[in-house]
Amino acid sequence: MRKRMLVLAAVVVGGLWGGAAVAGPTSGMLSNTCDGCHGPGGVSPGPYMPSIAGMPYNFLKQMMTEFMKDERPSTIMSRIAKGYSDGEIDEIAKHFAGLKWGVNNGASVKGKSVDPDKAEKGKSLARECEKCHEDGGKKQDEDTPRMAGQWLDYLQLKLGEYKNDEKYPQPKKMKTQIDKLSVEDLEAVAHYFAGQK
Amino acid sequence: MYDLTRRHFVKLTGGLAAAGLASSFVANPARAAEGKKRVVVVGGGYGGVIAAKYLRKVDPNIVVTLIEKEKLYYSCPLSNPIIVGLRDLKVQRWGYDNLAKHGINFIQDEVLEIDVAKRTVSTAKNASFSYDKLVVAPGVEFKWDAIEGYSEKVSEKIPHGWKAGPQTLLLQEQLSAMKDGDPYIIVAPPNPYRCPPGPYERAGLVAWYLKKNKPRSKVIILDPKDKFAKQGLFINGWKELGFNIEWVSGNDGGKVTRVDANNMSVHTEMQEYKSSAINLIPPQKAGKIAQISGLADKTGWCPVNQKTFESTIHKDVYVIGDACTVTGEIPKSGFAANSEAKIAAAAIHASFNGQGEPDPSYVNTCYSLLSPDYGISVAAVWAYRNNAITKVSGGVSPEKASAVFRKQEAMYAESWYQSIMAEMFS
Repeated sequence: MRKRMLVLAAVVVGGLWGGAAVAGPTSGMLSNTCDGCHGPGGVSPGPYMPSIAGMPYNFLKQMMTEFMKDERPSTIMSRIAKGYSDGEIDEIAKHFAGLKWGVNNGASVKGKSVDPDKAEKGKSLARECEKCHEDGGKKQDEDTPRMAGQWLDYLQLKLGEYKNDEKYPQPKKMKTQIDKLSVEDLEAVAHYFAGQK
Repeated sequence: MYDLTRRHFVKLTGGLAAAGLASSFVANPARAAEGKKRVVVVGGGYGGVIAAKYLRKVDPNIVVTLIEKEKLYYSCPLSNPIIVGLRDLKVQRWGYDNLAKHGINFIQDEVLEIDVAKRTVSTAKNASFSYDKLVVAPGVEFKWDAIEGYSEKVSEKIPHGWKAGPQTLLLQEQLSAMKDGDPYIIVAPPNPYRCPPGPYERAGLVAWYLKKNKPRSKVIILDPKDKFAKQGLFINGWKELGFNIEWVSGNDGGKVTRVDANNMSVHTEMQEYKSSAINLIPPQKAGKIAQISGLADKTGWCPVNQKTFESTIHKDVYVIGDACTVTGEIPKSGFAANSEAKIAAAAIHASFNGQGEPDPSYVNTCYSLLSPDYGISVAAVWAYRNNAITKVSGGVSPEKASAVFRKQEAMYAESWYQSIMAEMFS
């Protein structure tokens, strides 16, 4: 029954609380609480908080599901993701995938700024990364998240985790590439992708 | 329920909202056409500002007026680090200028009276505003008469620091001036009160400061309660960080009954505590306007419909944030107020359009710092099920975690602050 309701919700979704005629919170109702941490419309002004607006639907759904199942390390996201059903996670992923990418908009604080030398070094190191994260990390498809223009502080933090945590969930291809790069290399790669607009 | 007309209507309103979002709507409230719905929001904090913004977001035709007493807003969350010199008060200060950009009519004034029969509010500057729906978000007021010898006047000598601003700076001055070897005394309030982990975050940060600057001093927390928010994490963390903190619980005689400002002492039933640095956080109740307009019940807080935040005492008046009574253990936190505001805005919108009460989703995320590199958090999601607010998931940070994890939580605390402030003031 619940599933059927959610299908109906998807039919009438639109606007902030569109779909109010069906049982269960609407897509907008579920997602607007995310903005409190991830920024207005999923565009983050906090350098350690990733922007999630306009990320691929599949990627967002996968992240939330992995948080929910404790398969992806996190601080609070595993506690929050468990609060939603699979259908609700689907609605949240759809909501943010449908918004426009635009990191740093309206930011009142600056994160670390991109160092042009490091970014230049990162550009050559990122050649392998760009086999998937094409076009300076701008391209995104079902499983590949956008890297271009994401917060530098966040990218550094996460790339460090991908490298240091043996169990960090990541595609095999990615692990192979990450292992080839030193900590300094990865920092340069982060500067490169953060600097792409 | 699923008739065509209804669906068509939902689609239509959804479309309008989306169109409103796409443009930057600059509305002139004075030009508001006859027949437009008017919502007045009282209070410009974590709850009020978000309610005003979301009402405009969902329907740019609603005429929204926000009335706030102060010209500038000082955020309480993350104000504790100011006391120990880790942060400047300036980064806690925000202006209301951008609200106009969202078509919100901002009025700097104090609401003195709510006339629920006439649906008007009147203010200190002698203005009167009519409403179809009213949102009341006044935060908390202190029970000045709850502890003998304490008063608003005395709080200038023995500060509470429970509303960020001059009181925060006063705490900072007293901490920096106190003698090495003197205790730093924190008097915690009884439940319920704004920001449950707040006094303990403060205790930890002060202990961190003392460890570096006045190593012979310790923090004494005098508490009427026998347990507190994130207790296990705080106590373990204080031990791990080598902080000198003594917590005196209610059972151990921690309840303060009297204050002697001339003597700079506080008294429990068992003992007198003396110091040049005392922080007394008084018992609290819903903000003044909620009291004088009869929105509060005998508990001192405002009962509301848990699904919509409409007052169960006065129809068409919605109370959100610290002032309202919420079940399901949702705390009086800034993030909870933000979440409640969004729910109330949705409920008001639905009511204007003759729709049923929308199903709410409630979230809270709250960080506390023990030191600059050591953060802990609590997060939870609630749903409205079987006519009650029901916790679906959540909890505090793990008891055992790496230093990296604790540091990340401290970093996320700052980013959380930037995001939630941007949602309010950008």
